[in-house]
Amino acid sequence: MHKKETVLADMARAVVDMDETAAAKLAETSIELGVDAYTGINDGLVKGMNIVGEKYDNEEYFIPELLLCSDAMTAGIDVLRPHLPVKEQKVKEKIVIGVIQGDTHDIGKNLVKIMLETSGFEVVDLGRDVAPQKFVDTAVEVNARLIGLSTLMTTTMGKMEEVIRLLEDQGIRDRFRVMVGGEPVSKGFADRIGADAYALNGTEAAKTALELVATF
Amino acid sequence: MNLKRRVLDKLAGKEVDKTPVGCTTSYGVIEVMKKCGAERPLADTDPEALSTLAMAGYEHLGFEWIKAMGWDITVVSEVFGCALSDPTISMTCSVKSHPFCDSIDGIHWPKDFDKRGRFPVYQRQFEILKEKVGDSLAIYGQCEGPLTVGGNLVGIESIMRSILTDVEKVRTIIAAGTQAVIDCANFAERCGADYFNICEPTSGPALISPKMWEALVQPAIAAIVENTDIPIVLHVCSNTDKIIPMMCDTGVAAISIEEAANMKQAVEIAHARDVRVFGNVSTSRALFMGTPQECYDEATNALKDGVDFLTPGCGIPPGSPMENILQLKRARDDYYQ
Repeated sequence: MHKKETVLADMARAVVDMDETAAAKLAETSIELGVDAYTGINDGLVKGMNIVGEKYDNEEYFIPELLLCSDAMTAGIDVLRPHLPVKEQKVKEKIVIGVIQGDTHDIGKNLVKIMLETSGFEVVDLGRDVAPQKFVDTAVEVNARLIGLSTLMTTTMGKMEEVIRLLEDQGIRDRFRVMVGGEPVSKGFADRIGADAYALNGTEAAKTALELVATF
Repeated sequence: MNLKRRVLDKLAGKEVDKTPVGCTTSYGVIEVMKKCGAERPLADTDPEALSTLAMAGYEHLGFEWIKAMGWDITVVSEVFGCALSDPTISMTCSVKSHPFCDSIDGIHWPKDFDKRGRFPVYQRQFEILKEKVGDSLAIYGQCEGPLTVGGNLVGIESIMRSILTDVEKVRTIIAAGTQAVIDCANFAERCGADYFNICEPTSGPALISPKMWEALVQPAIAAIVENTDIPIVLHVCSNTDKIIPMMCDTGVAAISIEEAANMKQAVEIAHARDVRVFGNVSTSRALFMGTPQECYDEATNALKDGVDFLTPGCGIPPGSPMENILQLKRARDDYYQ
């Protein structure tokens, strides 16, 4: 039998333990116990995912674990989302992300998406092999202020710069903060192409995105 | 010393006069393509253009051995049924579809693989290269490793999840990939390759744990070594410090590592196991974005750390300036003065 005091910790544990079924069931239990859905997400599921992020940084967890933990968190969120009061479903900061044109490797981008959503962003995911203009058009269209570009391949890094140039050419560079990441990308590269930030991995991307929001 | 002899002797662990300098990954560089007149996409599909660009590594970049079998790591995946993107001069082709993402039933490596995909083109490329270089230069072939093939067939996220949820499925996929790599390496040997490079980026420690590597990848690479007679070189991306001993224990002739790995430590571990080390000048930080001096310094550091074959740490980005790449040979020559 769960109590209000323990169910949140158990939800976090279910995420850390990669237990999708338990996370969903505990989310239901939390509602039955009168825990509000917002608290369940933030102090239960997301707290668990933050622990997962630490384990990943410490090389206790790797990509397979991270994906299964994310599945557990999503299962819990799916249960709680309909119970969120309308006022809690406030407008979130939007970020448009995607893998740059020419590259079809999207696992890194997907991990960034998980950590951004964990941190409260509304992520508009353009997928992989995305043309530079598409990033610009979408960011304008959905009224996002952040753009995140990912690539695994050195062959496609040059396309990231095109996004910056397009924003400049259209005279809208100041309206956006652009973050880049991926295996071959570095802080030096970000500086060189005029990006606003570089992030090493998903957890860094989430922290960096929050910092970028504060610069507006 | 004959360049081919130097490479083969070094690979066999014998003393040579100088550390060979070259590339064991990929060198489809735009500036070189323009200089030699063999540009992608033709340099991906035409045996003459493939050979011209392969030779350009020796003629224009100072490399002391040359590459056959193209500039990307999709040759095996294509034969298994993956659709590929169209290459351009600045971009290699990559896998666009994962044909077994819903079910692994029907994963099949055909016996007549050498009649499919780009294998007939590569066979002709070997003939052209052998005519050109005879016994003066060593030639290597290359394909993607078993786990990388698996990620291409079912999707990387899918295979990553299955490592924890359905490991037998992963073993089945890797077994298919292992047989493919064995056949691919034996094909290269029949065609006249002097060694064969396996690129296994999906198995890097940025993705899976050392324990997973030991359980799934190490036996697959060991099986490849066991079932081939050509020297095998294993390239794994990212910081491989924690899996260097396991990479060496597969029985490969050599390992190839990135700049993120500790070269000095890798050399100590590898030499104790009679394995040689290729590497590890940074491809993005130095060769692509750095200055010639930074490239020279990284190359010199690798030599000081005892590298056996001075090479880029990964595939050279197409936009890298030739001047940067040439610093590898310059640093090697200066090191021996």
